[in-house]
Amino acid sequence: MTQRITIDPITRLEGHGKIEIFLDDQGNVANSYFQIPELRGFERFVVGRPIEEMPLLTNRICGVCPEAHHMAASKAADAVYKVDPPRTAKLLRELLYMAFYCTDHTTHFYALGGPDFVMGPDAPVAERNILGVIHKVGLEIGGKVIQMRKYGHTVVEMIGGRKVHPCSSIPGGVTKGITEEQRKEIEEMGKWAVEFAQFSLQLFNDIVLGNKAYVDLILGDVYTHRTYSMGLMDENNKVNFYDGNVRVVDPNGREFIKYAPHEYMNHIAEHIEPWTYLKFPYLKNIGWKGFEDGEDSGVYMATPLSRLNASDGMATPLAQEHYEKFYATLGGKPVHQRLATHWARLIELLYAAERWVELVTDPDITSPDVHAKPTEIPTEGIGIVEAPRGTLTHHYWTDERGIVTKANLIVGTTNNYAPIQMSTNKAARSLIKDGVVNEGLLNMVEMAFRAYDPCFGCATHSLPGQMPLEIKIFDADGNPLEVLRQFC
Amino acid sequence: MKTIVVGLGNPILGDDGVGWKVIEEVKKQLTPDVPVDIQCLSLGGLGLMEHLIGYDRAILVDAFASNDQSGSILVLKLSDLPNYSAFHTASSHDTSLQNALELGRSMGAKLPDEVSIIGIVTRRVYDFSETLSPPVADAVPFAARVVIDLLKQVTNHKEEYQPQG
Repeated sequence: MTQRITIDPITRLEGHGKIEIFLDDQGNVANSYFQIPELRGFERFVVGRPIEEMPLLTNRICGVCPEAHHMAASKAADAVYKVDPPRTAKLLRELLYMAFYCTDHTTHFYALGGPDFVMGPDAPVAERNILGVIHKVGLEIGGKVIQMRKYGHTVVEMIGGRKVHPCSSIPGGVTKGITEEQRKEIEEMGKWAVEFAQFSLQLFNDIVLGNKAYVDLILGDVYTHRTYSMGLMDENNKVNFYDGNVRVVDPNGREFIKYAPHEYMNHIAEHIEPWTYLKFPYLKNIGWKGFEDGEDSGVYMATPLSRLNASDGMATPLAQEHYEKFYATLGGKPVHQRLATHWARLIELLYAAERWVELVTDPDITSPDVHAKPTEIPTEGIGIVEAPRGTLTHHYWTDERGIVTKANLIVGTTNNYAPIQMSTNKAARSLIKDGVVNEGLLNMVEMAFRAYDPCFGCATHSLPGQMPLEIKIFDADGNPLEVLRQFC
Repeated sequence: MKTIVVGLGNPILGDDGVGWKVIEEVKKQLTPDVPVDIQCLSLGGLGLMEHLIGYDRAILVDAFASNDQSGSILVLKLSDLPNYSAFHTASSHDTSLQNALELGRSMGAKLPDEVSIIGIVTRRVYDFSETLSPPVADAVPFAARVVIDLLKQVTNHKEEYQPQG
């Protein structure tokens, strides 16, 4: 009997991948491999181009988070020229970034991660999308989501010069400031965003936390991995998306390391497996011990959940309240249940909205002093920001004219490749027993990595297309088994 | 009839950027008597839908990964495609263009009833480059011609053009 299991395509996941599951003689999972084909040549493509082009070029790597690449590349370009942008330039960059974060986190929750909970993981796949959500919860939700996105795009355009692929950040700062009129408009939108984020958390509270079955699902072992947690922190160890030092805590929540962006190579190494092009970053000073949980394994995650775990709290008052409730509800820090990432993402949404209002009401925000002219000879620079889906590192080497000679990028999702591989493996093991493939396998596997909001388009230097992901199951003799198709 | 033509794709990823190149050509060939808005985007799903608000008709131009001969030009309607993965029209970060349009309409947004797609067939390669492969490059002027013809008429059937020479 020939059986192959296929998800083709996973319509709510960026990227093109293939999961192959091999069974043993008893029909249980022996091994599973989550493979991703890699785009080639980005490092080669940028060699010979001016460093000033990187913020514009790199935001074309990924259609989902151009703003994250724009910021990381801009900060790396500042570092290449050893120039410190004026305070107002940093405020404006961060303000743009908060608006982007609100848009991105909102979209993920309502369109990608949320439907599994709002509709239920057992609902027909055709209903588990944003349309299902508005049919169930109400039309006004759709309006709010579209409104949030509109405000986010508007702010990105005002500060960044373009709606989607911003172009205003350059080495030494930004190309333009904002007027008092624009400031007022951005402030009003920010206040609305704070309310919207609170509304979203209330919705999560009512629909998910009010439902014991969902809470059990979140707390279930299938979606739990005890790994290290990474996140960018300010000087008080509070989560910051735009700037700070990278802090990593161990599986028990104790600080393992805190490093400045330019030290990343001392702490992060990349493991290569023969069955995939994408590398697996790990903590160099722990070492690669395979796809294992625990303190002795160098696997870490970089997600909304890991950022909360790695921090001592949120820097804004309302988000801090929810942060405390989060850990009180889920049994203290750190939380390792991956599905809790959806809740963590909403707490970050609230933080980003509050921070938006903080930044736009800063007295310096309308100052015309937005650029410091670079005067140093360019050499080498590293920029790190938190992309919504994980810590994003850009590293460029240039000659004395500022022409790029070498580049290295570690993008958000790549950090999580090992945890995603572990999560999908665990889901497969729990749902394939004695040769019987549980009908829920496909969705369980999807839910496992949907929590990470993976953008393999980005991680493999791909783009916002829709590509198939396939699950193939082989018996102990390597014969392929059954085909199932699922369209969300 | 208010019309928008959108080139979709990534201009730094070889053949994937063909939609943008076709748009450049369309701009050269367009005569001022054809009222149309033109954009190049790297978006799908909700983001793409948001750009279509206010239009009666949309024409999307994009690379199309299929087993047809490289450089073939496909002309189809969005409704001809299954509602999941129409190359760039979907964004896996949120939803398909069809779902996004339905969402937008249910919010009361005015969205095109008619969405045409011009797909230029490519063996999608994953290499960064700003140039097109020869068969795809050869198809650009023909695809531009198709866009301009479409602007002047409404097609209701799927046709396939084979670039000559």
